[in-house]
Amino acid sequence: MKFNAKSRMQILLLLLPGLLVFGIFTVYPIIRLFWMSFFKWDFGSFLDQEFIALENYRTVLADENFRIAFTNTIVYTLITVPAQMAIGLLVAMLINSINHVKIGFRVAYYLPVITSWVIASLVFKYVFNTEGLLNYFLTNVIHVTSQNVRWLDSRWSGMTVAMLLGIWKGIGWNMVVFLAALQTVPLELYESASLDGAGSWQKFIHITLPGIRGTILFALVMLTIGGFNVYTSTKLITGGKPGHDTEVVLSWMYYKAFSNGKFGYSAALSFIIAIVLAILAVLQFRLMQNKDEG
Amino acid sequence: MSKRRLSQLVIYILLIAGLVVVMMPMIYMVSTSLKPNGALYEYPPRFFPKLREITLENYAYILGQKKFIGNFGNSILVSVLTVILSAIVSSALAFCIARFKFPGRSLLFGFIILTMIIPGTTMIVPQYELAVKLNTINSIWGLIPFYVAWVIPYSTFMIKGFVENIPKELDEATYMDGGSILVVFFNVAIPLAKPGIASVSIFNFLTAWEEFPWANTVINDDLKRTLPIAISGFFGQHQFTQWGYVFALSVLSLIPILIVFISCQRFFVQGLTAGSVKG
Repeated sequence: MKFNAKSRMQILLLLLPGLLVFGIFTVYPIIRLFWMSFFKWDFGSFLDQEFIALENYRTVLADENFRIAFTNTIVYTLITVPAQMAIGLLVAMLINSINHVKIGFRVAYYLPVITSWVIASLVFKYVFNTEGLLNYFLTNVIHVTSQNVRWLDSRWSGMTVAMLLGIWKGIGWNMVVFLAALQTVPLELYESASLDGAGSWQKFIHITLPGIRGTILFALVMLTIGGFNVYTSTKLITGGKPGHDTEVVLSWMYYKAFSNGKFGYSAALSFIIAIVLAILAVLQFRLMQNKDEG
Repeated sequence: MSKRRLSQLVIYILLIAGLVVVMMPMIYMVSTSLKPNGALYEYPPRFFPKLREITLENYAYILGQKKFIGNFGNSILVSVLTVILSAIVSSALAFCIARFKFPGRSLLFGFIILTMIIPGTTMIVPQYELAVKLNTINSIWGLIPFYVAWVIPYSTFMIKGFVENIPKELDEATYMDGGSILVVFFNVAIPLAKPGIASVSIFNFLTAWEEFPWANTVINDDLKRTLPIAISGFFGQHQFTQWGYVFALSVLSLIPILIVFISCQRFFVQGLTAGSVKG
């Protein structure tokens, strides 16, 4: 279809507000970020930035604290993503197989998802505090330990609390997404498998999983991105302490920029995160496509 | 009891047991907000307050403070404006991308996908610089345009899917009747993509309502804060954290979300599943 000048003006009119907002507040900062990452750019050199090519990237990659933060983020993602997918799928299958109050369960299991990160983090901080409810339960009720565990004062126990929160908060989203996917798997497949004498486990492996493969991929990509987005929970629960042991990539980036004034360093770090995520997304799609063919 | 009834019973028991675990932190939050605001940590800690202890003093304190009422208002204003503005600009973008070939179309779509992959917080340094230049530090105008820009990619992507499902014949019939592009947009695309727009709007409300890192960076004036910043602001401000106040304010800030979520549940699920089944 050909459009005249008036139509072109109208298309422009529709595009303009979105292009302006997206361009100024998202695209421009991305380009600016890319630019900053090649300069020595900190509190000391605010007006006079020196081009240093890839030096910031080298500094980031050689930084011990970055490695800790990166490892924490990877571990967080590797543990929380499969855990929330597995539990979410299990809950979805249970809800899918009942006849009453399906919607009631769906709404109730979804509540942690709509609880804000700030609130959820503070509740977990309160429960896991050294003088908190969990320690009281462990020492005085079931007596598995005689001394309060200092959950928030060491690297892996602190990260564990953040990971438990991540899993707790993620189950509902997975449940809703998988519940919708399960309803697209044809029931006849299960019926004919039953006639062939297949057990529940075999049906799960050979019918359910292949039937929801697309959704598994979708969840995997979205949750991996989500895993790298972790920030508010560790910030509020441990504050990166002790030292910088429980820092994740985003909180470390934030710290270097706003507490240390190393903007060039932070820009390079941001780009490294973006590149890692882009590679992971492509890899995950490839992996799933290969399985398709196989 | 038949075998089938028995297995149904087991499933209900499992679901309820799981639900108890899932709800425990929320119940503990509500119960703590109803306890007298004593020392830093009560000893022994109790999951439920004693009946005669139950008090609304934490809520009375919060509701008696002008600044928290102001924070509530800020959150409402920021979230509602973010929802309205992003619904308008995203549906216009989605309509154009779905229906017309214009120069830069694939570049625009590429940036939309790219920004869905990159965590928003990575852009915080240049965005802060921008907010300083625009003189919007410590103002809700330092939040709204950034939130709108932030939710545009996902909103556009989702609404585009809904627009593509509208039969093109409807557009063409309107053009035949002499309708312009704007008429098609307002009379065909918007009404038929409404479920999509509604579902992304709920997400956008949630996003703006609970956003923490950016608001925490841009706003440091007590009165200009949104709720998440006000809630986290209880830490470090007092020597002892007043957990009763923290959780009373938390419970209050969850109420609008619950209302939006429960009343729009239908759209919510539609939006979530549209993305996943396609993906």
